Amino acid sequence: MAEKPQPVRVLYCGVCGLPAEYCEFGPDFEKCKPWLRVNAADLYPDLLNEDNQKDVDKAAEQLQSVGISSSGDGGGASAAAASGGTSKPEEVKRLPGGKIKKKEKQEVVIEKIVRNKRKCVTVVKGLELFGVKLSDASKKLGKKFATGASVVKGPTEKEQIDVQGDIAYDIVEFLTETWPDVPETAIFFIEDGKKVAAA
Amino acid sequence: MFKKFSFEDISAQNQVKTSVQRKIRQSIAEEYPGLEPLMEDLLPKKSPLLVAKCQNHLNLVVVNNVPLFFNVRDGPYMPTLRLLHQYPDIMKKFQVDRGAIKFVLAGANIMCPGLTSPGGAMDDEVSEETPVAVMAEGKQHALAIGFTKLSAKDIRAVNKGIGVDNMHYLNDGLWKMERLE
Repeated sequence: MAEKPQPVRVLYCGVCGLPAEYCEFGPDFEKCKPWLRVNAADLYPDLLNEDNQKDVDKAAEQLQSVGISSSGDGGGASAAAASGGTSKPEEVKRLPGGKIKKKEKQEVVIEKIVRNKRKCVTVVKGLELFGVKLSDASKKLGKKFATGASVVKGPTEKEQIDVQGDIAYDIVEFLTETWPDVPETAIFFIEDGKKVAAA
Repeated sequence: MFKKFSFEDISAQNQVKTSVQRKIRQSIAEEYPGLEPLMEDLLPKKSPLLVAKCQNHLNLVVVNNVPLFFNVRDGPYMPTLRLLHQYPDIMKKFQVDRGAIKFVLAGANIMCPGLTSPGGAMDDEVSEETPVAVMAEGKQHALAIGFTKLSAKDIRAVNKGIGVDNMHYLNDGLWKMERLE
């Protein structure tokens, strides 16, 4: 048997996930820069120069602020705040076209649909906005209420959970208990085509 | 091809019959002789091999929830970029000049002039309709996986229009799909 070639370890950017050398062509090079400076400085020598420049600037600034406020900690705090601001990840998802995805309002909508006059299905929409895995959720719901529960593609390509039977009476309690992230105030019922808050 | 690609595009994910598995293994081994010693690691006989069917007659070969290969209809299997990055020498390589990188990463097909210009390079013996790794001038790693429309010779001769179809590139839908559930 031939010698096994070892897998190459590729350095992927911690911010955008591309190989570090492609960050400059990535969705947001500016955001990758701080990470690159630390982890892949040799790939972007320009960055380091820039960095040094900035350091010099910062030092000068600090000196100035020290001079003005005459207390060293004030300058240090402001510098720390500034660096904290740049490293904070922003929650903006980018669509492939480069457009910024609008953040959807986080709410769970529960709707009861009657079929065959005496049977009904309870539809739960929007759980995924709270970071709940829908497949898990449907399983839990099915178990709790001892009925069939499934993840279904709803209108406009969104996924929702269909639970057989009328479970609207204590689904709210169940949701808030199983997923503490879901506040009661964010749960709504649809009654006669109107949204009614559950709480 | 994977410009817009997400979990919703996967219509079914099945564990395939052993005979089909064997066929897939065989065709991959044929296509990429360099992978031969690694086959056992990549596609272990023991662990289940899943094939995810997607829209547009696209199939993904998934092992342990990681997509490793894809193909279209009955076309050749191509590795995903993450796999190619690990084993860069399994495919024939084309290199595009620096100016083209931006467009390739936006999903554009690779035009002949980008391959024939001073920044570009091609492995000579590549014929048409073969999968190739698309590298870039001054970069170590592949940025896309392409499917040649013309042979390397023809690309030099024609030097116009699309030379390589862009199948899969960095930061497209498949790239972002590191793991399947």
